[in-house]
Amino acid sequence: MIDELIVAKNLTKIYHRGSEDIYALKNASFAITEGEFAAIVGPSGSGKTTLLNLLGCLDTPTRGSLRLNGREISGLKEHALVRLRRENIGFVFQQFLLLPTLTVRENIALPLLFSKKNGGNGKVDEVIRLIGLDARAEHLPNQLSGGEMQRVAIGRALITNPRIILADEPTGNLDSVTARAIFDLFQDLNGQGLTLLVVTHNVELAKMAHKIICLADGEIVQPKS
Amino acid sequence: MNFITLALKNLVRRRGRTGLTLLGVAIAITLLFSLLSFNVGYEKQLSGELESTGIHMLAVPKGCPYEAASLIIHGGVIPKYLSNSDVAEAKKIEGVEIASPMLLHQFYKDEKPHIVYGINIEDMKRLKPYWTVEGRFFSHTEDTVMVIGRNLAEKENLKVGDVVPFGPDKIPFTVVGILERTGTQDDEFHFLPLEVAQRTFGKPDQITTIAIRVDDISRMSEIANQLETIPDVQVVTMTQIMGTIMNLVGSAQTLLISVIIIAIIISAVGIMNTLLMSVNERTREFGMMKALGASGLDIGKLVVIETLLITTSGGILGLLVSIASTSLIEGFVKGIIPYSPAGRLMSPEPRLIGLCLLFSICIGFVCALYPAIKSSRLTPMEAIRGDLE
Repeated sequence: MIDELIVAKNLTKIYHRGSEDIYALKNASFAITEGEFAAIVGPSGSGKTTLLNLLGCLDTPTRGSLRLNGREISGLKEHALVRLRRENIGFVFQQFLLLPTLTVRENIALPLLFSKKNGGNGKVDEVIRLIGLDARAEHLPNQLSGGEMQRVAIGRALITNPRIILADEPTGNLDSVTARAIFDLFQDLNGQGLTLLVVTHNVELAKMAHKIICLADGEIVQPKS
Repeated sequence: MNFITLALKNLVRRRGRTGLTLLGVAIAITLLFSLLSFNVGYEKQLSGELESTGIHMLAVPKGCPYEAASLIIHGGVIPKYLSNSDVAEAKKIEGVEIASPMLLHQFYKDEKPHIVYGINIEDMKRLKPYWTVEGRFFSHTEDTVMVIGRNLAEKENLKVGDVVPFGPDKIPFTVVGILERTGTQDDEFHFLPLEVAQRTFGKPDQITTIAIRVDDISRMSEIANQLETIPDVQVVTMTQIMGTIMNLVGSAQTLLISVIIIAIIISAVGIMNTLLMSVNERTREFGMMKALGASGLDIGKLVVIETLLITTSGGILGLLVSIASTSLIEGFVKGIIPYSPAGRLMSPEPRLIGLCLLFSICIGFVCALYPAIKSSRLTPMEAIRGDLE
């Protein structure tokens, strides 16, 4: 039996602006299995961020169902969402969002502060080795290249041993050579069994995915397996 | 790494802003601590000064208001007098241990006021047993002799044995003694035998006040009532005098308190404004933290810790500045209050230090509350991506 990690059924998110209802996501249904690499594509305003919000347990759907690791997230309280997020999700952002006064090591260890887990230096060192920044562990972000900063961000997402990595335009700020290296790193991680959901405009990266979820005006328009 | 380290690193990242906010808190706490120290110190000093007179109450002419009684105790002169017979009556009352008549007179020399006390020296030695003198005290049978306070001797460059023209007729008086420094107003006065003072200033049988000491303080009220049965006599206790002086000082204090309240409000608004700016600038950072597993409470906690670090450091800095500049602040305050006792007016007690530190922490909590709630409610992906897709 295929282990479905994420199952979305008729997922709908409505935002209210004054008396107007804005459908950011309409009846989206899809499933992601454990170890799958999925790309979410679509133009600006198509609902990618809303979907990422929901998948990352940062928000709950207005209608429909979203099960993460068998657990329904609709109607969950904030503290339950936080716990689900801490235990299952790792985020990678386009702008890296590293804290400028923290070293590579400290940036990577930051989620441990919130998860109250004591990863210890061993776990941090292991992640630093995995992302290939052993020699840069004590450097500050302003001493790193864009590619290195994105590696730190990936390391930070990995430190809590999440089951899913959600990456939002992870190569959007990188040149093609550096982007290629990040693709390779993602492939390595996926090869080790990590589930990846990547929002991207990069066709090459999208082609590497096992599944593409294409969004337009809040609807999945061209699901492709 | 823990929340405090993270908060400290963020504060260091914005050194200028952190420094200015901290300075605002420090100024407010300096003012607050100085006022509280002054309040405690002033009352203590005044109470000590009144106690040092050795007098429990003053019998003054009827119609003499408390303000005038307050003036008497510090060398002021009022245009009403008691007589020797009033003194005799007072001495007859049971429980009165000492009833010492005094004549106060004020004259100007080089446009500076000089206070003269006509006293009964034997009574004064009992009322002020701590008085010691360089030279000697006069006896009540002596004429044209005086004892003077230490400060007065230094100001006028007088020594024991000096002969100075004195009074309206410029009669030569001999300085037979100079009081060792008492730390009270006595350091500024001339002391003459009562009869000599009455004759010199043309006030025979006239007495400004009768200083009363009772043998049992618990009977003060009863004895005061009996004293007031003497025609033309009104009694003012030292507690009443202290209250009157504190009222006089109260108006100056109100001014100071107003300034301090304004400083604290400005400081608090400044802190809140800085925090809100900081929170707005850091929406992406907080969004990232939430996405990485931080709860709203974690974000709020970070904002509160950063604020408390600023306000507590500001509080400590303010306390240090206040303690270090005690003399300067005392000089300023003495210039604006109507009466200040001799000695140190500021009393920086440990409990006040604790109170001001607690206050700076409370300011931190109050100022951090709204920014912390605001930051904790951020929707992460909207914050990170800037808008909704």
